[in-house]
Amino acid sequence: MSAAATYEVRQDGGARVLALHGDWTVETAPSLDADLRALGEREGAGLAVDVSGLGRIDVAGAFLIDRTVRGGHARGGLDTPMVVHGAHAAAERLLSVARGAAAPGEARTRAPLTLTDLVAIVGRWVAEFAHEAVETVAFLGETLFVLGRLALNPRRIRWTSVVSVMEMAGLNALPIIAVLSFFVGLVIAYLGARILGDFGASVFTVELVGVSVMREFGVVITAVLLAGRTDSSFTAEIGAMKMRQEVDAMRVMGIHPMEALTAPRVIAMLVMTPLLTFTAIIAGLFGGWVACAGYLGTSLDMFFQRIQDGVPAQHFWVGMSKSPVFALVLASVGCRHGLAVGGDVGSLGRRVTDSVVQAIFIIIMLDAAFALWFLEIDI
Amino acid sequence: MSAPAIKVRGLVTRFGDNVVHDGLDLDVRTGEILAVIGPSGCGKSVLLREIIGLDPFQAGAIEVFGEAVEAGGARARRMGVMFQDGALFSRLTLKENVEAPFKEHTKMAPALMSELAELKLIMAGLGPETHDLKPAQISGGMRKRAALARALALDPELLLLDEPTAGLDPVTAGKFDKLIEELAEALSLTVFLVTHDLDTLFETADRIAVLNEGKVAVIGPIDEVSASAHPWVKEYFRGPRGRAAAGAHAPARGR
Repeated sequence: MSAAATYEVRQDGGARVLALHGDWTVETAPSLDADLRALGEREGAGLAVDVSGLGRIDVAGAFLIDRTVRGGHARGGLDTPMVVHGAHAAAERLLSVARGAAAPGEARTRAPLTLTDLVAIVGRWVAEFAHEAVETVAFLGETLFVLGRLALNPRRIRWTSVVSVMEMAGLNALPIIAVLSFFVGLVIAYLGARILGDFGASVFTVELVGVSVMREFGVVITAVLLAGRTDSSFTAEIGAMKMRQEVDAMRVMGIHPMEALTAPRVIAMLVMTPLLTFTAIIAGLFGGWVACAGYLGTSLDMFFQRIQDGVPAQHFWVGMSKSPVFALVLASVGCRHGLAVGGDVGSLGRRVTDSVVQAIFIIIMLDAAFALWFLEIDI
Repeated sequence: MSAPAIKVRGLVTRFGDNVVHDGLDLDVRTGEILAVIGPSGCGKSVLLREIIGLDPFQAGAIEVFGEAVEAGGARARRMGVMFQDGALFSRLTLKENVEAPFKEHTKMAPALMSELAELKLIMAGLGPETHDLKPAQISGGMRKRAALARALALDPELLLLDEPTAGLDPVTAGKFDKLIEELAEALSLTVFLVTHDLDTLFETADRIAVLNEGKVAVIGPIDEVSASAHPWVKEYFRGPRGRAAAGAHAPARGR
């Protein structure tokens, strides 16, 4: 196919000549890159080029030849004359193309990273964190304001959209949430039975499962799963609409994006998250019973009797009361990041990541705050 | 005359019941700039994608430089493609975009890659100050130039352009037409371009193929095609826009 590129430097009368042989194309020529750079730096300037033995040539080959003659540097040396011996139509044309497009001047060098830069980077992170926090709270406020306005005028709520989100983000998430909480309940009960058994207190396994699933695991697992599943899809969906200027088109038509995009999602999540949390609690308890039945031989009747007697209902209500708060956080964080997507694909990816990370972060922090607060007021 | 760069024979493409190409034959001669026009939905872009090997077809054969093209097969390295919106990788700078084909297909030293990428960008008319920008930071016209530089990275012999001037203002579009013409001349490229831009037809194309009803209805130089009696072609060139473009370019062609 293509012959290897070779060259020789020979003395021809008073001038030194770079004689080229073989094909000088993007496939063959780069193997000579280092040699030619050295040759160019050593004695490049003033070399004439002999193209009579040259086969095929393309821009990459022409660039390497031109660079050698210019003195081996990527830039500069544009005023060195190009002397060509022999006839080769393509070579002459391409050599002038390469010369015409050679970059002028010196290469820009990147300044090395200093300690000041590192401090600046950390500072920027902190400032960004603070900025994000303020933005999140501001968006939450705006969302609540829009919800309040819609509550005064419920005919403006887009029910079709609300129901569609309820199905996609709520109903369709039900199986996965039920299965996961089942296994979490099962693991807690199994571990509880083993460890409490060491103290001869394995009868309290039921209370352990009841309290932990109702109070914490049901709602937190639901919220974290929804952050991964629903919050990310809100961001991606709204972000894609933003990129395709659909959001701008809405604004032009006088449709408020907060009302048309954010409000239905928030309302749907406020309805669905408590229902999903309830499902998660039931599935978790059932998982706990399966472990108890297998390990301690507890019957289903006995299990629920013990839950009724030993676990006060307040634990259930504590868990359920957190779910609408988490729903609000999930939906508004997802929508906020979606609406903040810029024009390029990279920003969509970054926003989806930020959205999920932030949602989970806020959920865990709020859960910790709730735990302290509920304990302090003795619930 | 040398063998055609692209040879299409009896091409049939169907999407369900919708027949897009119905026994289409087309030759693109080596070294020419062929423009393909036709009504929206006549399968111009589909034809381009089939030549590249991105889309499957139901019957017939496509040969590029004598090699049969199969959908999903290995892309010919001798082909450079510029998509309609440029399709630049948005996370990379312009220079990194042009370097991408080098990284994938050659064993170059990084320094040479960077030098060649700069060369290609300058050839496409983008100065060194733009090379470290991201595609989102530059104008549509510059994006097209960067996409052209990337298409030319591996020095292809065949360049395929999908709507090269779509979405550009007339001045920028005119400059881009000129650039394509100059580069095709300097690098002796064969160019296959799909367009709606009448100025591109008059200014740049050597021959024009009109796609209609699944076949090449008319093919030839602009004078022959614009004089054709084919009803769609008549409407296309004798409409107000066609007349304006023809009028503007008449002196140039008279030379």
